[in-house]
Amino acid sequence: MHISEGVLSGPVLATGAVFALAGTYIGLKKIDYDRIVHVAILASAFFVASLIHVNIGPASVHLILNGIVGLLLGFAAIPAILTALLLQAVFFQYGGLTTLGVNVVVMAVPAVLAHYLFLPLLGKSSTLTFTAGFLAGLFSILFSSILLGLALWFTNQNFFETSLAIITAYIPVMIIEGIVTGFCVAFLLKVYPEIIPVKKK
Amino acid sequence: MKIEKILFVCLVLVLVPLNIAFAHKVIIFAWVEDGMIYSQSSFGSKRKAKNCAIKVENEKGFIIHKGLTDQEGNHSFKIPKNIDSDLVLTLVAGTGHQAQWKISIDEIVAKSSDKDIPTIMGKKENLEKSPSILKILTGIAMIFILAMAAKFFKKGKTLK
Repeated sequence: MHISEGVLSGPVLATGAVFALAGTYIGLKKIDYDRIVHVAILASAFFVASLIHVNIGPASVHLILNGIVGLLLGFAAIPAILTALLLQAVFFQYGGLTTLGVNVVVMAVPAVLAHYLFLPLLGKSSTLTFTAGFLAGLFSILFSSILLGLALWFTNQNFFETSLAIITAYIPVMIIEGIVTGFCVAFLLKVYPEIIPVKKK
Repeated sequence: MKIEKILFVCLVLVLVPLNIAFAHKVIIFAWVEDGMIYSQSSFGSKRKAKNCAIKVENEKGFIIHKGLTDQEGNHSFKIPKNIDSDLVLTLVAGTGHQAQWKISIDEIVAKSSDKDIPTIMGKKENLEKSPSILKILTGIAMIFILAMAAKFFKKGKTLK
């Protein structure tokens, strides 16, 4: 999911950086003082998730977890994802510093949308909680892969087939991410309900 | 003076056949780049060796590739997998005209590992699969330090 350096055009990189900065500013403004530790925990989970590889047939995929981060944090997911991506770029050469803005937009925008789409469903029943978590995980990866494809397409319209291939390649990740997010949300609601904003109300 | 004339005639007689011989000399030059072997072939320095056969053999004499030069005398091909010996490229440019160029296994391995995309992808995948625990812990610690800093600033604002 991380776009490497040297792939995207200047205007796409600049647009991504502007959106990421604006989102980070809004996110930092919206972080609740009492929830800063939750932001750190989820940013750490996001930071580590990309390092865990799962083999599916001949391919190797890794979790992203932007769905659960967005679902539980809302706009605060943007600075959390920015921090995690920055550290991944510095320590593990995932993505890059010039593509940081685009990578933040690709992973954080679907996360924030997932918060507003699926958070109201949490806590109503265990089935609905799992379903909301599953959909949040699936939707985040689907929308992220579409944004990634669009970033490539805006750089060069010959990348259309590559973009389609990327979206197709992420279908297994969408399902895995959906299941992981569903179980995590259902589990957290039972053992640590304070982390879920809906429970606080 | 007479001796000088005789020497001059001898020199011309020697050099003219030599020049003709050079005109028919076939040359092949090959190198490794980006997982490919590229070759250029010519007759002397000016005439390109067009549509000439090229065969590539390993040390045991097995032919691993065959092809033809293009209109510029060039020919390239992807390095086959599992090459474990030097390769000899032979240019066959008509009856009696043949040239060879040897590429060492060291050159093939060294150049391939630098530029070959599958090799780079493999290295990247290995790098991603074996991240340092120390780096992971440092990253998590940095996230929490940043969170504490954010909490400190937020607290300051709340007190004001």
